[in-house]
Amino acid sequence: MVKLLVCDSVTKKFGGIVALDKVSLEVSKGELLGLIGPNGSGKTTLVNVISGVITPDEGRIVFEGKDITRLKPHRRVALGISRIFQGMRVYPYLPVYYNVSLSARSVYKDARLARAKTTWALTITRLLAEAGELPINLTPYKLRMVELARALVTGPKLVLLDEPFAGLSPSEIDEVIEIVKKLNENGLAFIIVEHKLRYLMKLVNRVVVLNEGKKIFEGKPDEAVSNEEVARVYLGVL
Amino acid sequence: MSRLAFSKPSKLKRVGSILPALFIAAIYMLLPTFGLRGFWLDVLTRVNIFLLITLSLDLYSGTTFYLNLGVPFTVGCAAYSLALLNRYLGVPVEYAILPSAAISLVLSLVIFLPSLRVRGAYFSIMSLLLPIVMAGIVTSQPFSLYLGGEGGITYSPLFFSYARGLPVKERAFFLQSTYFYISSIAAIIAFIVSYKVAYSDFGFMMRSVGQDELLAEASGVNTVRVKLVGFLISSSLASFAGSIYAAMRPPVTVDVFIPANTLVPPLTAVILGGMGTIVGPTIANYFILLVYEALWDVIGRWRVVLYMCLLIVLVLLRPQGIVYYLYTKLKRLVSSKIAELTAGV
Amino acid sequence: MEELKYILIFGSFHSLTYLVFSLGFSLVFGVARLPNLTYGALYVLTGYSTYVFLNYLNTPLYLAVPVSILLTAAISLAIGESVIKPAIKFPVSVFITTVAVAYIFEELFSIQMGLKPVTLPLYPGTTSILGIPVSNHWLLITAVCLAMTLALLAFLYKTSTGKAIRAVAESWEESMRLGINPLRVLRATFLISGVYAALTGILLAPLKALTPTAGWSPLFAAFAIVVMGGIGNILGTVVASLVYGFIEQSMVYVLGGGIARVAPLILILLILVFRPHGLFGRGE
Repeated sequence: MVKLLVCDSVTKKFGGIVALDKVSLEVSKGELLGLIGPNGSGKTTLVNVISGVITPDEGRIVFEGKDITRLKPHRRVALGISRIFQGMRVYPYLPVYYNVSLSARSVYKDARLARAKTTWALTITRLLAEAGELPINLTPYKLRMVELARALVTGPKLVLLDEPFAGLSPSEIDEVIEIVKKLNENGLAFIIVEHKLRYLMKLVNRVVVLNEGKKIFEGKPDEAVSNEEVARVYLGVL
Repeated sequence: MSRLAFSKPSKLKRVGSILPALFIAAIYMLLPTFGLRGFWLDVLTRVNIFLLITLSLDLYSGTTFYLNLGVPFTVGCAAYSLALLNRYLGVPVEYAILPSAAISLVLSLVIFLPSLRVRGAYFSIMSLLLPIVMAGIVTSQPFSLYLGGEGGITYSPLFFSYARGLPVKERAFFLQSTYFYISSIAAIIAFIVSYKVAYSDFGFMMRSVGQDELLAEASGVNTVRVKLVGFLISSSLASFAGSIYAAMRPPVTVDVFIPANTLVPPLTAVILGGMGTIVGPTIANYFILLVYEALWDVIGRWRVVLYMCLLIVLVLLRPQGIVYYLYTKLKRLVSSKIAELTAGV
Repeated sequence: MEELKYILIFGSFHSLTYLVFSLGFSLVFGVARLPNLTYGALYVLTGYSTYVFLNYLNTPLYLAVPVSILLTAAISLAIGESVIKPAIKFPVSVFITTVAVAYIFEELFSIQMGLKPVTLPLYPGTTSILGIPVSNHWLLITAVCLAMTLALLAFLYKTSTGKAIRAVAESWEESMRLGINPLRVLRATFLISGVYAALTGILLAPLKALTPTAGWSPLFAAFAIVVMGGIGNILGTVVASLVYGFIEQSMVYVLGGGIARVAPLILILLILVFRPHGLFGRGE
């Protein structure tokens, strides 16, 4: 069976710093993968490489059997890789509706289909009432929902979430988790980068631990917690 | 804080604003028959043409926030192409308008293409550089021999051969009013096109590029294509402005490349009107340019200094512009008044 | 052969002046991440103010020069504080305000001084280099430029302000974590870059005719050089200055001064097409 996403010994350097050092990673269809590691371990760089914001110096990225290493970000979105950025990143002066619909309009050439998809994405993120609002008037939770709606509207097979729980209250995090679980049941795969391990470990099937650009662990969440090296790396953080 | 925020006006509201706009346009077009003559008719013609430049700037820079200081380049290339087609190939200006606009459009596109592909300061730097380089080339050897040097290139203007058949007394007014009608129609078409584009899905994609280009790219928007097509539409407006203006007002001189002539008033109009709003800069264009013309007799070249100071103050204190804000206020006031009046019926 | 000698000699001289001019430009560019479009105007301003001091106020040269430099540095600081710093989060606003200030200066110069070129006194005498007579003024320029380059290097690597400038140019977030105030560092760069624009302006004004629009060409050259060399990369800037100086002088001697105007345009286009992140750039 063809894996959904394969990262094959991806390396990325910034000046003298090695942000990613021969990192290999596989994601199957419908998997929930947690990506953790201390600050500066290369998690966000890996997300950037997979979403195409950065091209790696070495290595290959294969999505559904297709080499996408040099593909532009917007083409990857059309293939089925969506992402959300760290922090609440939305178009500050566009209403919620356009924040979401522009991505749909870029991927679906049919305007009617794009509108239907936008309505669908706004419905599952419970944003219909706020469609005309500007982001400045929304709570962090609603902003996160806008980002999620934008990621979902393009009909992805894999969604990269970079710190989706940051800035949210525990009950809000539970709601995000609920939505993610529901989508996952319908076959959507996720890679989740997160510092709040307590929530993450309950959610994901598998975790990958990065440290200083290297993959140091890969396996079940409960094994990761008991792994010595992971504990050592996280000592400063936990 | 709702600066630079947009929502699409509803169908009903649009009909409400189209009718008064049509009325104003009709009155405006009839000005020559009401007896407007001479200097101010010429000025209004100029201001009409400048609307194309203002809208060109607003449509691209007002939405994508890539500042296009190279508008004089596009305008100037169109004007010089028209003059050169006429001088070296003998094409009458009537037939040279379309090809010269096309030449300028292609030139602008080719030279800006590399800077449209990347993010950052390149585009603005390139755009600032090009008019200055062109002004230098046009006036220096060996190009000045072919491009007319400081004196520029002269030719017979639009419809001049036709006007020659008229009685001497009628000639000047015939040309003046014809130019006024042509420029007015061009201005109206430019406004409709710009408005349609700026508030279409494509227009909102241009805005998404302006507000967070990386985010747009990473969430599916083909930013390079959006910038390219947006630049194409915007530059075609500037090209037509150059061609039509040159066709009416020979000679073409280096003045078209000088920012004080072809950039300062439109840029001020865009900022004063509210970037990306189309309606605001359109209204501001008429105000700003008429004042700019009138100021020439009062303070001469100091008008550039005055406008640039105004620009700085506006950008720092009120980047969202003034005219569009007043316009929406006024519209709301009028519609509530109408609602009040119709409520009793 | 004769032309080759000219290109070699004057290419070197010009490269050195471009280096100094670009170093000043790159300070603000590196810290603010935005090109200061008024930098060319500062270059012209110093020339005119020295001219006014010498010819209208009859100030002796040894007073006129330092006063003009200080004046330009102060104006550079004022511009930076009033129109760059408040808008630093909105690049398009900074572009508009700085280009507006540059146009204001251009108009003021042409209203007050006219379009006719003015010159400043030349350092007298000539020296023969490789059989080519070279004005002693170029030797003066060389000495001053070398001293200024070394002074800047010493400043950037030895003083605490210099180290702060480098840290902020590297990363705003990191430097703030280290307790550096980027906005204060920015203020320092306005001041220093003003001095560098001023000195090159005074040194080159006697050799190049000073006109209200004379500042644009060096501004674009500086932009091209800094981008090609990589922001914050001193060695890169040196190499880029050499490349630029020699390209420009070759165009002047082979194709003529008129066409040489397009030198910065060609260089920026080449960078854009082949290496948008600079020859030695760090990428994103």
